[in-house]
Amino acid sequence: MTEDPLAPAPPAAPILEIRSVSKRFGSTQALDGVSLALQPGEIHALLGENGAGKSTLIKIMTGVQQPDAGEILVDGQLVRIGSALDGQALGIAAIYQEPMIFPDLSVAENVFIAHRDRGRIVDRRQMHRDAQAVLDRLGVRLDVGQPARGLTLAEQQTLEIAKAISLRVRVLIMDEPTASLSAHEVRRLFRIIAALRREGVAILFISHRMEEVFEIADRVTVLRDGRWISTRQVSDVTPDLAIRDMVGRVLEDLFRRTPTEPGEVVLDVRDLGRDGAFSGVSFTVRAGEVLGFAGLVGARRTDVGLALFGIAPADTGEVRLDGQSITVTSPQQALERGIAYTTEDRRELGLIFPLSIAANISLPTLRRYLSRVGLVRRAAEDASAGAFKDRLKIRAATVKAPVGTLSGGNQQKVVLSKWLNTRPRVLILDEPTRGIDVRSKAEVHQIIDELAHEGMAIILISSDLPEVLATSDRILVMREGRQMAIFDRTEATQERVLAAAMGRDQRTAADALA
Amino acid sequence: MRYVRPEQLRELTLVFIIIAVLAFFATQIPDYLSGRTFTRISTSVAVIAVVAVGQTLVVLTRNIDLSVGSIVGVVAYVTGTLLTNDPNLSPAVAIAVAIGLGGALGALNGLLVAYGRVPAIVTTLGTLALYRVALVELSGAKTVTTDALPSWLLDLPATSLVSLGALDIRPLVVLALLIVVIFQLGLRYLPYGRRLFAIGSNPDAAQVAGFRVQRDVFAAFLLSGALSGLAGFMFLARFGNITVVAGQGLELQAVAAVVVGGVNIFGGIGSVVGALLGATLIDLLQQSLIRWLEVSEFLRDAFLGLLILLAVASDKVILGRLRTIWVRARRERDGSAAAAEASHGA
Amino acid sequence: MGRDFVRRLGTWEGLLLAILVVVVLVNTLAVPGYLQPQNQINLVQLSVEKAIVVLAMTFVIVSGEIDLSVASVMGLAAVTVAWLSGEGAPFPLAIVIALGVGGLCGLFNGFWIAIVGLPSLAVTLAGLIGYRGIARLLIEDRSIGGFPDWFARLGQQPFLGPLPFALVVFGVLLVVAFVVLGYSGFGRYLYVLGNSLEVARFSGVRVARIRIATFTMSGLVAALAGVLLAARLGAVRGSTAEGFELDIITMVLLGGVSIFGGRGTMAGVILSILLILNLRNGLGLANITGNTQTGVIGVLLILSVLVPNLASSARTRWRRSRGAAAAAGAEGP
Repeated sequence: MTEDPLAPAPPAAPILEIRSVSKRFGSTQALDGVSLALQPGEIHALLGENGAGKSTLIKIMTGVQQPDAGEILVDGQLVRIGSALDGQALGIAAIYQEPMIFPDLSVAENVFIAHRDRGRIVDRRQMHRDAQAVLDRLGVRLDVGQPARGLTLAEQQTLEIAKAISLRVRVLIMDEPTASLSAHEVRRLFRIIAALRREGVAILFISHRMEEVFEIADRVTVLRDGRWISTRQVSDVTPDLAIRDMVGRVLEDLFRRTPTEPGEVVLDVRDLGRDGAFSGVSFTVRAGEVLGFAGLVGARRTDVGLALFGIAPADTGEVRLDGQSITVTSPQQALERGIAYTTEDRRELGLIFPLSIAANISLPTLRRYLSRVGLVRRAAEDASAGAFKDRLKIRAATVKAPVGTLSGGNQQKVVLSKWLNTRPRVLILDEPTRGIDVRSKAEVHQIIDELAHEGMAIILISSDLPEVLATSDRILVMREGRQMAIFDRTEATQERVLAAAMGRDQRTAADALA
Repeated sequence: MRYVRPEQLRELTLVFIIIAVLAFFATQIPDYLSGRTFTRISTSVAVIAVVAVGQTLVVLTRNIDLSVGSIVGVVAYVTGTLLTNDPNLSPAVAIAVAIGLGGALGALNGLLVAYGRVPAIVTTLGTLALYRVALVELSGAKTVTTDALPSWLLDLPATSLVSLGALDIRPLVVLALLIVVIFQLGLRYLPYGRRLFAIGSNPDAAQVAGFRVQRDVFAAFLLSGALSGLAGFMFLARFGNITVVAGQGLELQAVAAVVVGGVNIFGGIGSVVGALLGATLIDLLQQSLIRWLEVSEFLRDAFLGLLILLAVASDKVILGRLRTIWVRARRERDGSAAAAEASHGA
Repeated sequence: MGRDFVRRLGTWEGLLLAILVVVVLVNTLAVPGYLQPQNQINLVQLSVEKAIVVLAMTFVIVSGEIDLSVASVMGLAAVTVAWLSGEGAPFPLAIVIALGVGGLCGLFNGFWIAIVGLPSLAVTLAGLIGYRGIARLLIEDRSIGGFPDWFARLGQQPFLGPLPFALVVFGVLLVVAFVVLGYSGFGRYLYVLGNSLEVARFSGVRVARIRIATFTMSGLVAALAGVLLAARLGAVRGSTAEGFELDIITMVLLGGVSIFGGRGTMAGVILSILLILNLRNGLGLANITGNTQTGVIGVLLILSVLVPNLASSARTRWRRSRGAAAAAGAEGP
C-alpha cells in the first residue's frame, strides 16, 4: 500500500506508560489515577509542588515501590516492576539528588559494580577501557582510575549517568539534576541529555527551574496533590500557565519588597578571604537592608556565610559589627555577637527530625530556658515556640509535634524561627526557599520584608535569580570565590547580574537565558 | 594519573615500620635476628592472622565480629574432644569439622545481623557470651589435655615444612599465608569481594544498586566464623591443653590487628595483607619489648591499647591529607580544563 | 523528654514493666519471702556496681557513642585503691586517687574522641585493652586484700535504714540521672548529639565540651563503681570486673535505648535493671548457674533488638497485603 508522504507518521509505541496508577501510604493518597506515557527520544518535564506525588511516581516507575492500582506498560506490554532490579532489567533508571556512588571505589568500578554479566573475575584493565568508552560517548573527561571520593557533585552525577548508560538505560529519570550545578556544568549536562536523546533514550526530569524546563523539554506534565493535571507540548504552555496548574489558582508575582529606610551600617566586611575558598570580599549591610548574594553554584557564597558564622573562619580581612572589629572563630561566638546563619541544607544541618518544634527552636538559645539548677523550663520554651508558630504561620497541630512530620515549607519556617529566636543583628539566609512550595515561599519573602522593617540587617544567599532581584535592596555578585560587582536594586537586571556571575559580557548572558 | 589507594600506602608504611623495628631491636638484643625468633613470632602470628582475615571481611562491610574468640574456643574444644574420643579420626575430617562448626556459628551471627537487622555490635556481644556459655555447659568445665590428643596433631606445629637457610617455615605458618593470599586475591578480583567494599563504602547506594546486601553480609559473617573455626583447629594444634576460657580476648587482638593494619572501622577501605602486617607488627613489638625491657608481660595489653589508638589516629590524619591533595590536584586540572572549554565559546 | 519522642518508646517501657511484673510474680510464687526487703536488698546489692555504671553508660549511648572501657576502668580503680593502700597510702587518699584515675581515663578517652575526632568504638576498645593492661601492670598476678573494716562494710552493713552504703549511692545517682537525662539542658544536648552532631555544631552547641564531659563522667562513675566493688569483694585481682561491659551494655539497650543514639529514656533503663536483677535472682533460686544466666542475658539482648525489627517488618508486610487486597477488591465486578 502506498504511504501518503503528508500524513503524520503513526506514533511509536511509548517506551514506558503508566495507566491510572494509585498509591496510598497510611492515610495519605500519594497518587490517584495518574497516567503518563514517555516516547523514545523524548525529554519530558515533570512539575509539581512538594507533596504532589512526583517522588512516589518515580519510585513506582523504577520498581522501588509497587502501585496499589493501575498498570505499567513497557513497549506496549504489560509488566510488573517488583523491585529495583526489575526496573533495571527493563532499562529504567533514576538519578536522585544525592548521587548514590561508592566513594572508596574507583570511577570505573562505580560504573560497573552493579553489572552481573562481567564474568567471574574482575578484569581491571578491561573495566577501565570500557568505562573510558562510556564516558567518551558522553563527551566527558574523567580519570577512570581515581577514587570516586574526590569527584564534585556534577561529576558524580555524570558517573551515575554513565552507570545507567552502561546498563542500557531506555528511560532515564532525573530528580532535580541541576539543583547544585554551575552554569558551565548545566550546559554540559544538557549536552549529555541531547546525546542520550539521539540514542532514543526517554528522559523524565523533575525541576523547579522554569527556564530550564522550557529550554530543553518537549512536553510538560503537571501533578497536583497526587493527581494528573495536564500534559502539554512545551510550545503550547507558558510558565504562568504551568504554575497555575501546579498551584490550582492564579498566584501573584513573587512577593515584592516594600521600601524601607535603611539605618546605620551594622556589618562592615573588608577584604575577607579564606585560603582555597574565597578572597577579596568587601561589603556593608545596614539595618533594615537586604543584601542579596547572587552567583552561580560554585561561586562560594556559602563559604562567606560560614566564615561570618565561625564554622570555617576567614584567614584574612576584617569584620566590623556596629563599628567594632570582631573575630568569629566558632558558632558560639557568632551567636554571642548576634550573627545568625540558616544553612542551605535543613535536613542534614538545620533540624533534628524526631525532636519537637519547640525543642528545635530553642536549641541555640537553650540556656535562656534553663532554671538555676539547669532544668529545662518547658512552659517557657513552648510559649516561645508558640509565638513563632503564630507569627510565621507554621502549620502544625502543636509545638510539641516532631519537626519531621512537617512539610518542607513549614520545616523551613521552624529553621527561621530557631535563628530569629537568637535575636540577631545580622541574619544570613542561605537558600531559604529551596525546595519549598510556592505558598510557603511567598510567606518567607513576606517575613523577610517584615524583618527588614524591624531593622534587621539581612544577607540573602540565593540561586533563584528572580527571588534575589525581587527581595534585595542591593545585590553582591560572586564568581568562583571572587567578588564581581555590587548592584543597587534600581540598576540590577537579570542580564546584568547573570553577566557578572558568569564573568562574561552581556551578550552571551542573554543567549544563556534565551 | 595514578592514584594511590590508601591501603597500599598503609601496607607500605607497615612494612617499613616492621623493618625499622627489626633493625632497632637487632642492635639491642643479642641473637635477635635468628631463626628462633622468626619461628616464634611466625607461629604466634599464624593463628591470629587467620582470625584477622575473617574480621577484615566483616569490618569492610561496616560491621564487627566480637564473637571470634568464643568461636575459636568452642571449635578448639569440640575438635579436641572429638580427637580425644576417636584418635583415628582423619586430619581432613577434623579440619572439616572445625571449619564447618565455625561456619555454622558465624552463620548465626550473619542471620541476626543481615536478616534480623540487629546491629553487629549487639549481636556479636550477645553471641560472644552465648557461645562461651554453651562451651562451659557442654564441657562440664573439663579440659582437653595434650596426652589424650593424637600425635600427628601435636607434632604439627613443630615439624618443619620448608627450610630457607636458617628459617624454618612451619605448617601453621604456611596455612596462614595461604589463607591470606587466597582472600587477598578474592577481595581484589572476585565480584563478591568488590561488593563487600561497596557495601561498606555506601550501604544505601548498595541497596539502591540492587545488591543482595543481606546475602553478602551474611556470607561475610559465615566466612569469618569459618576462618575462626580453622583458627580454632590451629589453636588446638598449637596449645593442646584447651580449657573453657580458651580463645578469650582473641577478638580484641583480631580487631587490633585489623585496625593497625589499615582497615577502616567505617568500612570500604582495607586489605587482608594489611591485617596480616598489623598482626605481625603487634606481635613483633610485644615480644621484642618484653625481651628488651625485661618488663613484665603485663605491659603487653597497656601497650596494645596505645598502639590501636595511634593506628586509628594516623589513619584519620593520612586520609585527610590524601583527600586534600586529591582535591587540590583536581582543582588545578579543572581550572585549566574549564578555561580551555570557556575559550571555545558558549 | 520521653514524651517528645516517638510514641513507640512508651510502649517499650510498658512492655518492660509487664515483663518485670510477671518475673517478680513468678519468683514470689516460687520462693516465699521473695519480696521481703532483705531479699530485695541482697538482690540489688550483688550487682549494684554494674547498675551504677549502667546509669552513666546510658548517657554515653544516648549521645550516640559507646564506652567499651568502663569495666577496665572499674578494674583499674579497684586495683589502684588496693595497690596504693598496699604501698602504705592512707585509705581515704587512695580512694580519692582512684576516682581521679577514673576521671583521667575518661578525659583521655574524651580527648581522642572529641578533639582528635576518632570513633568512640575504636578509642574505648583501645581503652578496654589498655586500662586493663595498666591495672595488670600494677597488681601482676597477685591478689590484694586486707582492707580496713569500715571499707569492707560499705557493701554489707546497713547505712541508711536497712540499706547499705552502696545502695544509697545507687539510689541517689539514679534520681540524679533520671532528672538530668530527661529534664535538664545537658540531657537535651545529649539527645541532640545522638541524633546529629552536625546540626548541634551548626546550632552553636558546644559539642566538644559536652562529649568530653560525658566521657569524663563515665570514667569517674566507673571508678566509683570499681571502688565500691573492691569494698564488697574484700580483695582485688587483675581480672576484677573483667567482662562487665557486656552486662552493662545489655541493661542499657534492653531499656529501649537505641545503640545509634538519640532515643531512649532513663525510666526504661531503670526498669531494665530491675528486670535483669530479678531475672538473675529468680534463675539463681531455681538453681540455674550464673553461667547459664549470662547466656540468658545474651539471648535477651539479641531478642530486644530482633523482636521489634521483626514486628515492624511484619506490620509493613501485612499492611501491603491489605493494600493489595483492597486494590484488587476495588476492581472487582
